[in-house]
Amino acid sequence: MNSIIELHDVSVTYPNGQSALKAVSSVLQNGTIYGLVGANGAGKSTLFKAIMGFVQPTTGYVRIAGKQIKQALKENLVSYVPQTEEVDWNFPVLVEDVVMMGRYGHMGFLRRPSKDDRKAVSESLDRVGMSDFKKRQIGELSGGQKKRVFVARALAQGSRIILLDEPFTGVDIRTEDSLINLFRSLASEGHLILVSTHNLGSVPSFCDEVMLINKELVAHGPVETAFTEENLIKAFGGMLRHHRLVGTDLHKDEDSRSVTVLTDDERPLVLYGEEGVEKITQPGDKT
Amino acid sequence: MMELLLEPFAYNYMIKAIWVCALVGGTSAFLSSYLMLKGWSLMGDALAHSIVPGVALAYLLALPYAIGALFAGLLASLSMVIVKQKTKLREDATIGLIFTAFFSLGLLIVSINPTSVNIQAIILGNILAISDDDVLQVVLISIICLIILCLKWKDLVAVFFDENHARSVGLQVSALKILFFTLLSAACVAALQTVGACLVIAMMITPGATAYLLTDKFSRLIMIAVALGTSTSAIGAYLSYFMDANPGGFIVSLQTVIFLIAFVFAPKYGLIKRKVIVHG
Amino acid sequence: MDSLVAALIEPFAHDFMIRALVMSSLIGTVCSIFSCFLVLKGWSLMGDAVSHAVLPGLVLAFVAGIPLVIGAFIAGLFCALATGYLKENSRVKEDTVMGIVFSGMFALGLVLLTKIETDLHLMHVLFGNVLGISQSDLIEAGSIALICSFIMLIKRKDLMLFCFDPAQANVIGLPVKVLHTGLLVLLALTIVSSLKAAGIILVIAMLITPGAIGFLLSRSFGKMLIIAYISSLFSCLAGTILSFHMDVATAPLIVVIQTVLFILALTFRKKNRSQKGVQHVG
Repeated sequence: MNSIIELHDVSVTYPNGQSALKAVSSVLQNGTIYGLVGANGAGKSTLFKAIMGFVQPTTGYVRIAGKQIKQALKENLVSYVPQTEEVDWNFPVLVEDVVMMGRYGHMGFLRRPSKDDRKAVSESLDRVGMSDFKKRQIGELSGGQKKRVFVARALAQGSRIILLDEPFTGVDIRTEDSLINLFRSLASEGHLILVSTHNLGSVPSFCDEVMLINKELVAHGPVETAFTEENLIKAFGGMLRHHRLVGTDLHKDEDSRSVTVLTDDERPLVLYGEEGVEKITQPGDKT
Repeated sequence: MMELLLEPFAYNYMIKAIWVCALVGGTSAFLSSYLMLKGWSLMGDALAHSIVPGVALAYLLALPYAIGALFAGLLASLSMVIVKQKTKLREDATIGLIFTAFFSLGLLIVSINPTSVNIQAIILGNILAISDDDVLQVVLISIICLIILCLKWKDLVAVFFDENHARSVGLQVSALKILFFTLLSAACVAALQTVGACLVIAMMITPGATAYLLTDKFSRLIMIAVALGTSTSAIGAYLSYFMDANPGGFIVSLQTVIFLIAFVFAPKYGLIKRKVIVHG
Repeated sequence: MDSLVAALIEPFAHDFMIRALVMSSLIGTVCSIFSCFLVLKGWSLMGDAVSHAVLPGLVLAFVAGIPLVIGAFIAGLFCALATGYLKENSRVKEDTVMGIVFSGMFALGLVLLTKIETDLHLMHVLFGNVLGISQSDLIEAGSIALICSFIMLIKRKDLMLFCFDPAQANVIGLPVKVLHTGLLVLLALTIVSSLKAAGIILVIAMLITPGAIGFLLSRSFGKMLIIAYISSLFSCLAGTILSFHMDVATAPLIVVIQTVLFILALTFRKKNRSQKGVQHVG
C-alpha cells in the first residue's frame, strides 16, 4: 500500500492576481509525520487546498498514490482536520454525528450507517478518549475536546493520509501531548501525517520531516538537517522574534556555546551549542 | 419635439415628483457609499420592510407617517439586538426573521383595514400622488440627513474603515454608529415614498457600488454616487411620464443599467480592462 | 367547545378551503425543510434575492405563453448565477451585488407588469392568495413541493455536510459544486412552488423562521428538521383556517403565527439552557 503525495511544480495564483504558491515540488512518503511550517500567508493553507483539490494549481499537478486527486478522494485516501476557527460550533450536530461524517464516503446513496460504520465511529472516539462525550453538541466542548472530535472523524474515515491544519492552536498541553502520541502511533501504522503549524517549538518534538515554505519551498528534509536557524529565517523573513544569548551572557567560564530562541508567538524554538552547530533542545532535555 | 419633452413640466405633480425623487436619490446615494463597503445590503432591505407596520398604523390613526415609520424601525432594530444577544443564530437569519415578521405584521394590519391604507403605495411607492404633508416630511428628513452627512462624513469613514483607530483618535464610535443607523432608517422612510419598500434597497446600494467601480478615492466616490443617485432618480421620474410606468421601478431599472455599463466599461475595474490584463 | 369544533370543521365544507389547506401544508413542508439548510448556511439574503428576482420571469413567461413556474424558476436561478458572475468579475462585495441584481430584476418586473397587459394580479403575485388557488395550480405547485421535499429528505445528510463543512464534503469525494448548484436549484424550486400561496415577498419568512425555531430548540440536525417541520405545518394550517374565519390575508397571518412560535421558543429555551448550564457546572 503506497500512499504518497507527489507535488510536481505546483503553483497557485488566485484570480485577483495574488500568487500564493510558487513551483513547489516534493514527495511525501507514508509512515512519516511531516511538519509544514511557514508564517501566516506563506501558503500553508493553499498547499492543503491544492492537495485536497479545493484549488486547481495554475501550473503543475498533484498526485496521490499515483492517482488524480478526484479519484484519490473518491477512494477515501485523504482526510482532513480543519482549523478550529473554520468550524461553525453552533451547528446543531452531536459529537457522534461529526465523527459519522467521516464515514459518508463509505456509505450508500442514503448515507445510512452500517454496523461497520458504527463500529468505526465508536473505535475512533475511544482512541481519542471522547467516547463519554458522544451525545454532546460540539459547541459544548472545550478547545482540546473539539480538536479530538475532528481527529476522530479523520480516523473513522480510515484514510492513509491525514492533513491537519494548525491542530495545536487553542489546545491545552495535555491534549497536545496526547495528540502527538496519537500521531506517532498512526505513523508507525503506516499513515502519512501532514501537520501545518506555526508553532515552531513543538516541531522537533513530533515531526520526522519538516517542510519550510514561504510561497516557495525553502527546505524539505529530516528535522535535524532542514530545521535550521538559517532555513527558518529564510522562511519567516523578519517575522520571528530572535534572541541569542552567547556564552558570555550565560556564564563566566570559557564555554562558548550559545542559546538561540526563535519564536513567533507560541512555544519558542531553542537552539543550544557552539555557534553554527547548535542543537535543538527539548524542554526537559539535560545538556 | 421640444414641446413634447417639456410636457411633464406642465404638470405640478410631475415637477414635484422629479425634484423630490432627486433629493431622496441623492441622500440615499450618500448613504449607499458606506453601506455597500460594509456589506450591509440586507440591513438596508430589512429596515425598509420593517417600517411598513409603522406606516400602516400611522395612516390608520392619521398621524404623520414618518413618526410611525421611525418608531417601527426603532422597534425592529431593538428586536434584532435582543434576538442576537439571546441566541446563537447567524446574523443574517436574525435580520431576516425580524424584518419579515414586522413586514407581515404590517400587511396584516392593512388587511384588517383595507380601506384606510393603500398597500400598493407602501410597497411600490406613491410619488405621483404624494400628498403635500408627505412631501414636507420627505423633504425635511432628506435635508436634515444631508446636512448631518456633509458635516460628519469624514468621522463616519474613520469609524467604518478602522474602528479601533477611530476610537484611539477620540471619536465617539458607538454614538457615530447609532447616528449612521438613525440616518439610514430616516433615509429609508423617505425613500419608501418614492420607490416603495421593495426597491429601497436599490437606492441604498446601487449608486455607491457603481461609483466604487469608477474611483478609489472615497470623497470622489461619494460625489459620484450622489450625482448618480440624484440624476437617475430625476431622470427616471421624468421618463416614467412618457413610459406611463411605475416611477420607482423605472428609477431602479435605470440605476441597474448604469451599474452594468460601469461593470463592463469602467476604466480601471471594468470587465473589458480585466480581460485585457488577463490576456495581455 | 362545540363551537370550536364547528369552527375547525366548517372550512372543510368548502372545496377551495380543502385545496388551500392541502396547498399550505405542502409548502409548509418544503419551506421548513429548506429553512434548516438556509439558516445554517447563512443564505437569508440569497433567499430574499431569488424570491424577488422571480417577478420579471413571471411576466415574461406570460408573454411567451409558457408555464409561469418555468419563467419564475429561470429568473430565480438567473439571479443567483448572475450574482456569482458579477462578483467574480468585479471588486464589489457579494451581498452588494446580490442586492443590485435582485432589486434591478424586481424593478424590471414592475415596469414590465405595468406596461404589459397580463392577467397577473400584482397583489396576488406579491402576497399570494392561497384561498383562491385552483385545482391545476395545486397539482403543479404541489408536485414541485413534494419532489423538492423528497429530494432534500433523502439527500439531507450530504446537504447538511455541505453546509457544515464543505472541505470535509470535498475530501470524502462528494461533488461540492453539484451540491452548491443543487441547493440553489432547490431554493428556486421551493420559492416557485410557494408563489401562489405565499407570494414572492413573504416566502422568505417561511424560509427562515421555521429553521430558526428548530435551531433554538435542538442540538442535532434531525431534531431541528422535525421541530421546524411541526412548527411550520402548524402555522400554515392554523393561519389558513384563522384567515378564513377572520377574513384577513392568509400569508401574513401564517408568518405572524410563526413569529409568535419563535418568541415562545425563545422563552421556553431559556429555561432549557439554564438547566443545562447547571448540569455543566455540576
